[in-house]
Amino acid sequence: MSIDKTQELVLNMGPQHPSMHGLFRMVVHLEGETVTHIDPKLGYLHRGMEKLAESRTYSQFIPYTDRLDYLASPHNNWAYVQAVEKLMGVEIPERAEYLRIIFGELARIASHQVCIASTALDMAGWSAWSYAFRDRERICDMYEMTAGSRLTVNIMRIGGMSAEPPEEFWPALQSFLDDTPEMLEEYYGIFFGNEIAMGRLKNVGILTKEMAENLSITGPVLRASGVDFDVRKAEPYSIYDRFDFKVPVRTGCDSYDRTIIRMDEIVESIKIIKQAVRDIPGGPIMAKVPKVIKPPVGEVYHRVENPKGELGFYIVSDGTTKPSRLRIRPATFINLQMLPIVAKGWKIQDVVAIFATLDAVLGEVDK
Amino acid sequence: MDVVSEKRLREEETLMEKNVLVTTIDKALNWARGHSFWPVTLGLACCAIEMMATGGPRYDISRFGYEVFRASPRQADLMIVAGTCTRKMAPLLRRIYDQMPEPKWVIAMGSCANAGGPFVDSYSMLAGVDKFLPVDVYIPGCPPRPESLIYGLLQLQYKVSNPAKVRLMRHGK
Amino acid sequence: MENKKLSRYVDELAARVNGVVEESLGVLVLKVQAPYIIEVLRGAKEFPFVPCDFLHDLCGVDCGDHFEVVYQLSSLHGPQLLRVKAIVDRENPVIDSATPVWGGANYLEREAYDMFGIKFKGHPNLKRIYMWDDFEGYPLRKDYVTEPIEVRNIVRTRIEGE
Repeated sequence: MSIDKTQELVLNMGPQHPSMHGLFRMVVHLEGETVTHIDPKLGYLHRGMEKLAESRTYSQFIPYTDRLDYLASPHNNWAYVQAVEKLMGVEIPERAEYLRIIFGELARIASHQVCIASTALDMAGWSAWSYAFRDRERICDMYEMTAGSRLTVNIMRIGGMSAEPPEEFWPALQSFLDDTPEMLEEYYGIFFGNEIAMGRLKNVGILTKEMAENLSITGPVLRASGVDFDVRKAEPYSIYDRFDFKVPVRTGCDSYDRTIIRMDEIVESIKIIKQAVRDIPGGPIMAKVPKVIKPPVGEVYHRVENPKGELGFYIVSDGTTKPSRLRIRPATFINLQMLPIVAKGWKIQDVVAIFATLDAVLGEVDK
Repeated sequence: MDVVSEKRLREEETLMEKNVLVTTIDKALNWARGHSFWPVTLGLACCAIEMMATGGPRYDISRFGYEVFRASPRQADLMIVAGTCTRKMAPLLRRIYDQMPEPKWVIAMGSCANAGGPFVDSYSMLAGVDKFLPVDVYIPGCPPRPESLIYGLLQLQYKVSNPAKVRLMRHGK
Repeated sequence: MENKKLSRYVDELAARVNGVVEESLGVLVLKVQAPYIIEVLRGAKEFPFVPCDFLHDLCGVDCGDHFEVVYQLSSLHGPQLLRVKAIVDRENPVIDSATPVWGGANYLEREAYDMFGIKFKGHPNLKRIYMWDDFEGYPLRKDYVTEPIEVRNIVRTRIEGE
């Protein structure tokens, strides 16, 4: 008797699984090794940030934003404080804007390094992982010099920055920038040029342009599908309109392009930081803001380009010291919607790779 | 010193010269356990990134013999609860703990795992994993630095290698 | 301002669905009653020259006596921004699902259902997304009272299959 078709298998992956980047769980329906259906289950890290925001004052909520996307915490601070500043109509000093750009772009590099590292790790590439983590430590050092913390830096305040970088920050930044070409060369050699990585990522998990637009995908994942869209260019916030940089776009639509586009973004970030270091003016780093933050009645929606996509804050103020409603638009939560659609028809090991290229951080997905 | 103990001392010295040590089995086992934990890969939230950094090249946890992170709880003897444990996750965390073979230890890493941290008054939070797991070492910090984690692991090493001493310390005698 | 062109189309659309147009910090806000929402979203998606064809965000807001579902619309091909607010009854919060218009509304609507209890008619899989299935209440409603810490510290029983 011959068996043509195997029985359908339901496989539960996560929440504790080495390739799930935190507490993500998916129920995978398999036919043989081919995926027929994926049912993602979220919420294992749901901490109720939006509810907490309603019982915190505006300044008290800044540390919570660090814990959203903890790989790029300055970016979350940035999105939040800019939203509040927009609501209050505060102008912040030049120097603070430049410092924000420097820290924001450093965070982008650090976040992309972790993305590359964890994508490699999910395909059992330990060496690539340790190379990327080695370089990330230098960015953590720079955070630490300035803010005193390595990961959740909490460096921005409503109206400016919390601290001026110390003397030794600038040489450290300069030597980091000088070493980056060599660093990227190493990543290319050890991971992207690797035949196994190419075989497992190229032409796997195709996300077409139409699908991406329909699913509200943003960030590098969207740009790897050939859409030239970046909030830094489309709706320049802060002082991004003063810098000369390109938005990397790739048209491969596959896992490989979704990963390697992050390398291109690191190159652009370095360019931005170099310009910022060259042009940074002196002066104060805090604007004059009242001790008690009390925005007028109104609402604001502000979005920034997080390393993983667009991070938005929608704040409804009722004129008191606490927000009446604070909504976080998490980028990877929305990007995650593509997983069941794109991974269908691929093998189980490809699902792991596709998930890794999304660079999901569960702190942001689950809030 | 009487004749018998003098004789024994001389015997031990001759054994030492031949690279032989005499101890109890219990002590030898505890020494081995304390110097090579196999932690289960369980990253819950932000602290997991610091845990990864501890395993990374700068802090290099393998200097202490703790680098064997196992994906399966059945091969592990140490659970580092790195991050926030929510009410939705709690029963699953307990289940992972139950799947680990004896002897096993738990480290609560970070404020959230210790006592709920900044999220303590949220509707979805369980304030501290010690409500349902026997925690051996608490590491404060939000998130703790890699050095703190290493210090915590060394404290656990001390606890595992000297069970009697730690029991005395705990009861204040 | 680029809002001028958009504002003409929004006014036309508002007249068709009895909506109110406001402006808040440079962004046009269109307030409509819940039954018109699909017509509004489809209309906004097909504005000539300035289509608001990208669903940026969708969330619920508790306004006390009623709920609002807020849609942040934008475009990948231009700077236009539009905020659409649908007013939903508090006693019987039902609104049409936006999933036929944008596939991306799927998780966002599940989240709004989880947090506010707003039911989206025609949603393919309207289940709780963050909280577990047996959880009672809708946490982001203003009248939700967080359980005391003693109750929260009791570990729930695991649902079979988790």
